[in-house]
Amino acid sequence: MAENGEEKLLAVARHIAKTLGHNESMADDILQIFSTFDGRFSREKLSEGQPGEDGSTVSALERALNSLDSQISRFVAADQPIWSDPADSAAFLDAIDELVNITREWSHLANEKPVGACLARADEMLQQAMFRVEEEFRSLMERGAESFAVNNHRLDSDDEEEDVEGDDDYDGDQIPVAKPLTDYDLIIDALPSATINDLHEMAKRMLAAGFGKSCSHVYSTCRREFLEESVSRLGLKKLSIEEVHKMTWQELEDEIERWIKSANVALRILFPSERRLCDRVFFGFSSAADLSFMEVCRGSAVQILNFADAVAIGSRSPERLFKVLDVFETMRDLMGEFESVFSDQFCLVLKNEAVTIWKRLGEAVRGIFMELENLIRRDPAKAAVPGGGLHPITRYVMNYLRAACRSRQTLEQVFEESNGVPSKDSTLLTVQMSWIMELLESNLEVKSKVYKDPALCYLFLMNNGRYIVQKVKDGDLGLLLGEDWIRKHNAKVRQYHSSYQRSAWNKMLGLLKVDNTAAGMNGLGKTMKVKLKQFNVQFDETCKVHSTWVVFDEQLREELRISLARLLLPAYGNFIGRFQNLGDLGKGKNADKYIKYGVEDIEAHINELFKGSTTARK
Amino acid sequence: MPATEFQGSFGRSLLTLRRDQTDSNHHHHQPQNTMEAELDSFQRQVAEKFIDLNASAGDNNLLSLDWISKLLDSFLCCQEEFRAIIFNHRSQISAPPMDRILSDYFERSIKALDVCNAIRDGIEQIRQWQKLSDIVISALDSHRPVGEGQLRRAKKALIDLAIGMLDEKDHSSTTSLAHRNRSFGRAKDNHSHHRSFGHFRSLSWSVSRSWSASKQLQALANNLNTPKPNDVAASNGLAVPVYTMTSVLLFVMWVLVAAIPCQDRGLQVNFSVPRHYQWAVPVMSLHDKIVEESKRRDRKNCCGLLKEIDRIEKSSKVMNELVDSIQFPLSEEKESEVKQRVVELVEVHEGLKKGLDPFERKVREVFHRIVRSRTESLDSLC
Repeated sequence: MAENGEEKLLAVARHIAKTLGHNESMADDILQIFSTFDGRFSREKLSEGQPGEDGSTVSALERALNSLDSQISRFVAADQPIWSDPADSAAFLDAIDELVNITREWSHLANEKPVGACLARADEMLQQAMFRVEEEFRSLMERGAESFAVNNHRLDSDDEEEDVEGDDDYDGDQIPVAKPLTDYDLIIDALPSATINDLHEMAKRMLAAGFGKSCSHVYSTCRREFLEESVSRLGLKKLSIEEVHKMTWQELEDEIERWIKSANVALRILFPSERRLCDRVFFGFSSAADLSFMEVCRGSAVQILNFADAVAIGSRSPERLFKVLDVFETMRDLMGEFESVFSDQFCLVLKNEAVTIWKRLGEAVRGIFMELENLIRRDPAKAAVPGGGLHPITRYVMNYLRAACRSRQTLEQVFEESNGVPSKDSTLLTVQMSWIMELLESNLEVKSKVYKDPALCYLFLMNNGRYIVQKVKDGDLGLLLGEDWIRKHNAKVRQYHSSYQRSAWNKMLGLLKVDNTAAGMNGLGKTMKVKLKQFNVQFDETCKVHSTWVVFDEQLREELRISLARLLLPAYGNFIGRFQNLGDLGKGKNADKYIKYGVEDIEAHINELFKGSTTARK
Repeated sequence: MPATEFQGSFGRSLLTLRRDQTDSNHHHHQPQNTMEAELDSFQRQVAEKFIDLNASAGDNNLLSLDWISKLLDSFLCCQEEFRAIIFNHRSQISAPPMDRILSDYFERSIKALDVCNAIRDGIEQIRQWQKLSDIVISALDSHRPVGEGQLRRAKKALIDLAIGMLDEKDHSSTTSLAHRNRSFGRAKDNHSHHRSFGHFRSLSWSVSRSWSASKQLQALANNLNTPKPNDVAASNGLAVPVYTMTSVLLFVMWVLVAAIPCQDRGLQVNFSVPRHYQWAVPVMSLHDKIVEESKRRDRKNCCGLLKEIDRIEKSSKVMNELVDSIQFPLSEEKESEVKQRVVELVEVHEGLKKGLDPFERKVREVFHRIVRSRTESLDSLC
């Protein structure tokens, strides 16, 4: 009974305190006064009971909150950065953690008015605290980035080969960048380790308190600024597609060089470094880490990709091939990096863009070859080389293709990506090369018809054909086109050779045929005299003209001469011999009078052929 | 020998394009009236698309994300038709005057590519505002009654938002805005506002500081004249669809620049189409409506005419004023007012959230198709 009575008494006392006390501390004071009256109204007894059944256990909550309030308010009002002192920052975070714990413990009773009021107060304190944490977070990020920026000059393009290993200026806190720029296998700590830990501790609390968006926003803004600064230090300019389009070739070449360097540094060093930083600061909150990372890198990544895109969209002048291939190869080599750095859900778009642009660069390379095809097709037929020598377009195309084939592997890759249909014996690159060769040869054939003299026409084709085969034979181009192709073309050159011989010399050869059925000795003599006369004239004419023609290839020249000699000399010798043996040729004239050339003379003249006149020789 | 079977190009995707258009009826010697019909059909299609757009521009829908998306869809359709026409008559495009006319078109389309890239930046800008409005919402939209701390947080985000949405040219007013709000929050907040203003502006553009959207538009429109009768005759009428497509391209880019924030945004472009073109009236009608919109007092200095931007600006302004007017303790009346405004803000925010990503994808699609069209034509010149 007594127990019950006491309970009732205590309950009444509590009730009085609750109703009379306009706030918790007043109620608390009232209870304090009661406790001085009567031992039964001890503080402990008044505080006992189920939480929520009376107001007094709430006071434990209130007391806790009061103590936290005074701590937190002190920090929040401080002018100095809290994080400049590790003891302060730890205490601040402890207070916050305690606040969060208390809130969590009591949250199931939020419906009860006194508890609810306490929780609202707690939330208010949390908001104030978080506000301050956010500011500290921002200033810590900015300070950290500043100190790195100062030491960041090692990544400038000017300081390529600088070896910093023996540099005494660096102490433990500063960023160790000891290797030259060309080695991309570099790990940078974007911020000092202690700073990163601090940031993580702050981020943890902010994310738990519902301040995640602000935290991520502050983080991204700060890091993005730093990253874009770093990228611009690499010399990469912000260029529109039109601006790239309008650049001179030299300017563009330089810009491409800078881009290659920047892209490598960004993808291999800067972005991974930012990713690591994100992962550390937002450790345990992967979604926030992913989102923040994307925000940080998006702008720079887009800038890098935009330039590559501009190159891909640009003009297709064949001289651009090698630089466009450089950009293609860089994108290809960085694809792995793109895949790994932009692997999360938010960066998927960036990764896909990179792939699209890489493919577009491949298209550009194929487009350049198409432009080359156009160039060949459109080369005017009228521009024939005097003397039937090597045409500039032959030289240009063959040297171009030889140079291009040095990048054979890359080109194979480029052409595999096209929509062409491969055959089982040849790659698409081979098909492209064969096609270009066909176009070149067709064009040359058209050009050859400009020459009125069919012999010159064949000589021209022989010269150019020979050059083509020489340039194909020893090199990647030959491997691409294959032995068969080479054999076929050599055969073609031989064919031109025989055609030349036939068209220029057959008639003369015909004159040298000794016809034994001529009527009588006299008749034969007369015929032979006429034939010899004709031969002399034709031979003179032909030699005069053909000496001005050019055969550039020494070996070919020799072959031609030898072949001609073999053709003419025996026949001529035979003819002359018969002629001389005829004896009397009427009117007492000597055979020798009609014989202008001895066999050696013929040979000598043949050896003068194809030297080219001073005007024809190029 | 495989090479002899090649007709130059490596089987472009054009060959898969519109096989039904180039079936056995349309051989190399296309009778004149078929071509005429084809070109006429194109003109009609363009006109129909823009009549539709006019119709759907009512009810305050003009320049909304939805409407602009429709505009981009229409552009893509017209572009496909155009592409088909060029493909069908590719034998003519390498000869004068079509070679010159088409090359001019593709030069202009490169300028359009840069506009697309700038618009992408602008969309990112809008996303930043979205983030801020998200913070405002999360600060105020809780089940607990609004506390001082939450209000402060909302206020900060609202100020950042207001500063962020200022037109670039209004540098002078930002400092006064920041000073006006000095009363709420300590001096430290002010400093951070200045910094965040810098953050919003200096970083986002992927183009150099000298790039100008308005100059780009002017260059796009430069010397855009209706085709000369000589050219029309010499090109068998092909000069007309090129002129049409160029005009459509210019209009679409102009609308994008009008709607989305970008560097040196200006709408002064000489854009007029002679009335005898079927699509001239609906296009010019839209043009005039948009110009009118840009001249409205409350939108004169905005950073983009996009309807959603207007809504965010207005509801955040209202919210800002409301927050300013709040005294603690919060009356129930005030509290419900806050909740109501939050609901409005949420509506705008959600609309933007849903629509922005697809819109960006569409702009990107436009970019890729313009590139593809150009590449294919260059390839066809073989």
